[in-house]
Amino acid sequence: MVRFTHLLRLSGIKIGSGEVIDALNTLQEIDISDRETVKTALRAVLVKRKGEREVFDRTFDLFFSPMEEKERQQMEHQKREEQKQEQMEQAEEDLTFDQQEMDLSEEEKLTYGQMPEEEKEKIKNYLDNAEQGMAREWEKSVKPMLEVVVKGALRRWMNQHKDEVDLQNFQHTGDDELDSILEDLGQNAPSREDQLMYEDMQNIDNKDIPKANQLIRKLARHLVTRITRRYKRSKKHQMLDLRRTIRENIRFGGTMFKLKYRSKKIQKPKLVLICDVSGSMSSYASFVLQFIYGIHSVLGQIETFIFSDNLERITPYFQPGSDFNQLMVDIMNKSKVWGGGTRLNKTLQTLQKEYSEAITGDAYIIILSDTKTEAPSETLEELLKIKKQAKDILWLNTLPEEEWANSKTTRIFQKHVKMYPSNTLSDVEKITRSKIFQ
Amino acid sequence: MKKPPLIFFNYNIIDYKMKIYYFFKKRYYWLLNAFSILYNEPNFFKVIERMCPVDISIENIKKEFDKAGYICDSEVIITVYLALKLEKPILIEGEPGVGKTELGKVLSQVFNTELIRLQCYEGLDENKALYEWNYQKQLLKIQLLKGSQYEQTLEEDLFSREYLLERPLLKAIQADKKVVLLIDEVDKTDEEFEAFLFELLSDFQVSVPELGTLTTGDIPIVVLTSNNERELSDGLKRRCIYLYLDYPSVEREVDIIKAKVPGIEDRLTQQIARAVNLIRQNAEIKKKPSIAETLDWARALLTLNQDSLDEKTIKQTMNILLKTKADLDSFYQHIGPVALDEYARSK
Repeated sequence: MVRFTHLLRLSGIKIGSGEVIDALNTLQEIDISDRETVKTALRAVLVKRKGEREVFDRTFDLFFSPMEEKERQQMEHQKREEQKQEQMEQAEEDLTFDQQEMDLSEEEKLTYGQMPEEEKEKIKNYLDNAEQGMAREWEKSVKPMLEVVVKGALRRWMNQHKDEVDLQNFQHTGDDELDSILEDLGQNAPSREDQLMYEDMQNIDNKDIPKANQLIRKLARHLVTRITRRYKRSKKHQMLDLRRTIRENIRFGGTMFKLKYRSKKIQKPKLVLICDVSGSMSSYASFVLQFIYGIHSVLGQIETFIFSDNLERITPYFQPGSDFNQLMVDIMNKSKVWGGGTRLNKTLQTLQKEYSEAITGDAYIIILSDTKTEAPSETLEELLKIKKQAKDILWLNTLPEEEWANSKTTRIFQKHVKMYPSNTLSDVEKITRSKIFQ
Repeated sequence: MKKPPLIFFNYNIIDYKMKIYYFFKKRYYWLLNAFSILYNEPNFFKVIERMCPVDISIENIKKEFDKAGYICDSEVIITVYLALKLEKPILIEGEPGVGKTELGKVLSQVFNTELIRLQCYEGLDENKALYEWNYQKQLLKIQLLKGSQYEQTLEEDLFSREYLLERPLLKAIQADKKVVLLIDEVDKTDEEFEAFLFELLSDFQVSVPELGTLTTGDIPIVVLTSNNERELSDGLKRRCIYLYLDYPSVEREVDIIKAKVPGIEDRLTQQIARAVNLIRQNAEIKKKPSIAETLDWARALLTLNQDSLDEKTIKQTMNILLKTKADLDSFYQHIGPVALDEYARSK
């Protein structure tokens, strides 16, 4: 049981020790000769999330499989391990320069092992040539340079054949049985939903787009429920309103019969969305529109703008009940700014000049952009002006967070507005869950 | 230490030893009463009941659920059985209309006990869920006794049980019999209330500053439901047995319709179940038809004297299944009555 729960933890299910004890108690209460009962019972105690059910089922099937099946798995696992070892050895043997091994990572050696013969031959030839060419003028510093070249070639090949390469980069437990199961689990990868969540949105495959769209609309709905829920909260009794209570109770001779409460008024935040649809953002734009569409289909009262070199209001396109594909085509056809260059400063000027009624004291301005704009310092000036008028500015940055430090524009804006990474769906999910509207 | 066994007052779910005891209790109540006076033990019945082990089994629960008209998979039965055995709350998640709340109701019916329901909403706090002092009554008392000789003892009086308004959670804890506590739509509450709730669910005791700690005699059967509007905290989940209810399969839905709509023909039942299943599979339809709506549809078709589906009837009655214009539009756009009819008729 302990090994099984350990395995579940390794495959990503959160299990506390309390749950392990529950599981052990469970086994005493049920008929353990009935496989389905045991499976259902353990699932009820150990799995607490809908998405984890599938992983649990597969892990259970593999772990509690019949002996023959288990032996077969272990054999396969061993075979794979041997094969892997062979590949590594071959790589070490082939990729040498002047009898010295190249300094490559395990992953890179494995990649080499799985390349087709002609590709291998190319790298080998390249190394041989280099060796012969360099044989006369001996220089030690050449080896690191060659390493960079070889590594580059390996990485390029791997990126092209991402789906076929099996790198087995899971943690090894040191227990052969667990390892073989984990490997099996990894090969029959779970539903793509989890992976999609962590994929950079511009890299999402065409075939996954419908699924991603569904996810994104779900996220939009979550965000909206959060917003509307906060609005309803004003009914909550919080503090005694002493002044009103006394006034109300004067007719009872000052005795506090009727208590009056002061309730906190929380208003639904007003949102103004400004989305970048310039050339650099084009691969995100369709997702952006999906997100807006999702919000509109529930809430229907958000001012929405798109911009590239200038601002354009698209709120009227989002009519309740409109079909998304039609809407997308409409916007792309009629919009003058779709796919242009980015001039955020001019955009913000237009916003203040022509749509000043949108920027009120209770409005959150949400800017969705990768910060790559012309004239950043002028833009910042405009941003600060708007910040004074609106409640707050939230910036959803589609640039991956690790690149923020290298982007000059991001660094400039980051100091003055709240910036959130949002280049994967899981980032967006985090935003919908956090309390940013407070 | 062995936990005291579960006591239920439903004859069908207990074993024969208890049946004999209950028979005896009914017939010779006076005799047992005499014993209890003799041994100076007022809770004599409870002592005996606790001494006799009562066993509930998976088969018994299944039988009783069927009898109560709650048709479900063995997964549900096993989960319920475990929750009862381990005395843990059941947390049920699932789409709206799959029968989450119904499970709580059925449990109270099966165990022949009271159902105490706490409907959660945003802003629900301890005053509404646990207890509150009856301020008005307290004030009245103060007014009445002003200047009289009882003024000294007034303070003790004011914070006695008489002035305590029991809310559902306290009621469940204070009940002298095992009850079913249904905490509905727990995902609608705030995080703070959720934290308070799982404190309560782990040891089933509350401290009221003026009265001291109140504990429970029988741990209630707790059912929590959630529509998955937000992720519940790990702490709450850890304390519960988890059940995810999905829409029923076609076969299961056929069983449900047969159980709930008497007099309906087999062929029509099959067709209804298949049609509803197809509609639920369509991603464009936002509010999927619930089981209750399926039953309404079946009843409507029965009232219209239909023995099988056809295009015209589907058009006329689709508004029973789909309640928004957007969903109806997507139905006509993506499925349409003709295709639905064909699919439902196909084997």
